[in-house]
Amino acid sequence: MNTATFSLAMLAPAFPEIALLALACVLLLADLFVSGRDRHAVFWLAIASLLACATLAGAITGNASAVTFHGMFVADPMSQVLKVAALLAAAVTLVYGRTWLERHGMLSGEFLSLSLFASLGMMVMISAHHFLTLYLGLELLALCLYAMVALERDSVRATEAAMKYFVLGALASGMLLYGMSMLYGATGSLDIARVAASLGGAGSSASLAAFGLVFVVAGIAFKLGAVPFHMWIPDVYQGAATPTTLFIGAAPKIAAFAFVMRLLAQALGGLGADWQQMLAILAVASIGLGNVVAIAQTNLKRMLAYSAISHMGFLLLGILAGTDNGYASAMFYVLTYVLMTLAAFGMILLLARAGFEAEELEDFRGLNRRSRWFAFVMLVVAFSLAGIPPAVGFLAKLAVLQAAFEAGYGWLVVYAVVMSVVGAFYYLRLVKLMYMDEPAGELAIGGRADMRLLLSVNAVAVLALGIVPGPLMDLCARAVTASL
Amino acid sequence: MSIQLLAFYCCAAILLLAALRVITAGNPVHAALWLVLAFFTAAGLWLLLYAEFLAVVLVLVYVGAVMVLFLFVVMMLDVNFDKLREGFWRHAPLAGGIGLLMALEMALVLASREFGAEGAPSPGAPPAGYSNTKELGRIVYTDYVFPFELAAVVLLVAIVAAIALTLRRRKETRYQDPAGQLAATKAGRLRIVKDAPAGGAAGEGE
Amino acid sequence: MIPLNHYLVLGALLFAIAVAGIFLNRKNLIVILMAIELMLLSVNMNFVAFSHFLGDPAGQVFVFFILTVAAAESAIGLAILVTLFRNLRSINVDDMGSLKG
Repeated sequence: MNTATFSLAMLAPAFPEIALLALACVLLLADLFVSGRDRHAVFWLAIASLLACATLAGAITGNASAVTFHGMFVADPMSQVLKVAALLAAAVTLVYGRTWLERHGMLSGEFLSLSLFASLGMMVMISAHHFLTLYLGLELLALCLYAMVALERDSVRATEAAMKYFVLGALASGMLLYGMSMLYGATGSLDIARVAASLGGAGSSASLAAFGLVFVVAGIAFKLGAVPFHMWIPDVYQGAATPTTLFIGAAPKIAAFAFVMRLLAQALGGLGADWQQMLAILAVASIGLGNVVAIAQTNLKRMLAYSAISHMGFLLLGILAGTDNGYASAMFYVLTYVLMTLAAFGMILLLARAGFEAEELEDFRGLNRRSRWFAFVMLVVAFSLAGIPPAVGFLAKLAVLQAAFEAGYGWLVVYAVVMSVVGAFYYLRLVKLMYMDEPAGELAIGGRADMRLLLSVNAVAVLALGIVPGPLMDLCARAVTASL
Repeated sequence: MSIQLLAFYCCAAILLLAALRVITAGNPVHAALWLVLAFFTAAGLWLLLYAEFLAVVLVLVYVGAVMVLFLFVVMMLDVNFDKLREGFWRHAPLAGGIGLLMALEMALVLASREFGAEGAPSPGAPPAGYSNTKELGRIVYTDYVFPFELAAVVLLVAIVAAIALTLRRRKETRYQDPAGQLAATKAGRLRIVKDAPAGGAAGEGE
Repeated sequence: MIPLNHYLVLGALLFAIAVAGIFLNRKNLIVILMAIELMLLSVNMNFVAFSHFLGDPAGQVFVFFILTVAAAESAIGLAILVTLFRNLRSINVDDMGSLKG
C-alpha cells in the first residue's frame, strides 16, 4: 500500500509532455553557455523541441483513450489533434517573431524557455482528466504568459499590460477555483469522469453544483476573454510586444477550447441546460461588442483584439449547441481561427522595421504597391477573419451557426449573422487602405526568407482549407466522437 | 455550545475582522500584518477540521515566506501611501455594495439546511494513531505524482520569470574581466600611427 | 461539532471581502495582490471543509497545490510590480494611462 510502481506503459501516453519538459530544461541550460551569435542555435533548439514534441504527440496514440497517472491524465484523439496544432502554432509564432525579438534584444533564453513552458502548460490543459491538472496546466500557461508580457521590461506599456493581465487573470483563477471547490463539495470528487458520473446520478447536491457552475463559467469567460469579462484583451494585445501578442492570441486559444471541453462538456455535461444558457448570454455580448467596438479602432493590434473577442463569441456558439456536431464545429473553428491569427500578426511582424511597429491601420496604406503578393496574403486573412468566402473563415462560421441552429438557437444565429456583416466593415476598410490608397513611401518589404515562405504557406492554407475543408472537418468530427 | 463551536466563532470573527482590515488599511505594511493575522486564524480553523499538515504549511509558507516577500517589496518600493489613498472613499459605496450583495447571496445559498448538522453530519475525529501528514504524504507521491511534478515546473517558471524580470546589471557598475585582461596583447592595445606631415592632411583632418 | 454550512458561509464572506477589496483598492496594486491571497484563502477554506466532511483527502491535496501555485503567483506578481514601479516610479493605477480601455 505504501509503494507505488511506475511502469513505462503508464508513462507512455505522456511522452510528449515529458520530452518537452526535458528539452525546455536543456534549453535553459544551453542558453547559459552560448553567447552572441550562437543565440540562433538556441532559437533553432526551441523550434526543434516544439516540432519533435508535435511529431511525438501525433504519432503516439491510436484511436483509444488512455487514462494514466491515476486518472490525472488522458490521451485521446481530441487531445492528440489539439496538441499537435498548439505546438505547431507555438513554433510558427517563434519563427514569425524572431526578427522582431532579435531587433529588441529579447531573443533570449528566457523568452524561448518561457514559451516552451507555456506550451507544456497548454499540453497539460489539453490532456487534463482531473480538476487539479486542469488548474495546474492553466496556471503554468498563465504564469508564463504574464512573464512574457512583462519581459519587455523597459516599456511602460508592456509592464502595465502585464500587471492588468496578472490581476485579472488571478481574479479569474480565484473564481474558477471557488467554483471547483463547490463542485467538489457537490459531487465528492475532482476526477472528471467521476464528477460526470456523480452529476448524472443521485448523491450529488444540485443546488451546490449549480452554484459552483456560475463561478466556473465566469472564470472560463475571463480566460477566454468573453464579454463582460473581456477588459484585459484589448490592453494586453496592444500593450504587449507583437510576438508576445501573437503568442497569447494563437496557441493558448486551442488550450482554452480544450479546457472548456474538458470542464463543461465532459465533467459538467449533466448541467448542460444551465451552462448553455450562460454561454448564450456570453456569446451574444461578445459577438455584439467585439464587432461594434472594433470599427472605432485605428490600431490594428487593438482591432484584432476586439475581433478576437467576437471570434470567441462564435466559438461559444458551437460549444453551447451541446452536440457532437457542435463540439466538432467549434474545434474546426478554433483551429482555423488560430491559423488566421498567425497570418494576421505575421503580417504586422513582417512589415515592422527598426523603430517602426506597423501596428496602425495607416501603416498598411498602399501595401499593394509595395508588394502584390503580401497584400494578397493580408487580403486572404482579412476575408477569412470577416467570414467572406472562399477563405476558410466563412466555412468555420457556417459550421458553428449550423450547429447552433440545429440545437434550437435560431434567434442567436440570425443575430450572429447580422453582427458579422457589421464586422465585415472594418476588415474591408483594411482592404481598401491596401488596394485603393497610395503608400506613404515606397519601401520594399524585408524579412527573412523562412518567415516569408512560412507566411505564404500559412495564407495559402487559409485559402486551401476554405476550398477543401473536408479532411480537417472529418478529423475534428472523428476526434470529438472518439473522445467524448 | 461546545468548546469547539466557541473556538470556531472566535477564530471566524477574528478572521473576518482581519480580512476587512486588509482591504481598508491605509498603509500596505499594516495590511500585510493584518493578512498575517488572517492566515494564523485560518490555520487555527483548519486545525478544528483535523487538517494539521495544511495548517502548519499555511503558517510556514504564507506567514514565513510569502508575507515576508510582500513586506520586503512594500518597503523596498518606497511608495507614497497618501497618494494611494486618494479616491479610496469614492469607490467605497460601490465596492461595499457589491461585496455586501455577493456575501448575502452566497450566504443565503450556502447556509441552507442541506449543509447543516443534519444534512451533512460531521464524520467526527479521526481514529487514534491517524496521521494527517502521513496520509497526505502517501498520496501526494503516488496518486498525485503527475500534479506534483507539474507544481515543480510551476515553481521553476516562477524562478526563471522573477529573475528575468528583476535582475539587471547596473550600467554604472564596473566589472573586472580577468579573462579579457589575460587575453590582452600588445597588438590589441598599441597602434603605431604614422604622423602625417603637417599641411598635407589638413583637409582630411577635419 | 461545527456544521459544514458554518465553514461555507465563512468562505463566502471571505470571498466577498476579497472581491470588494479589489474594487476598493483599484489604485493600490499591493493591496490588490493581498486581496487575491484572501480569495485563495476562502477557496482553501471550502476545500478543507468539504474534504473533512466527505472524508476524502483529495480536497486537502488540492489545497496543498493551490498554496504552491499561489506562492509562485505572488512571486511573479511582485516581480511584475517591481518592474512596473521602476518604469513608473509609483504603483498608482491612475498613472497607468498609456493604455485606454
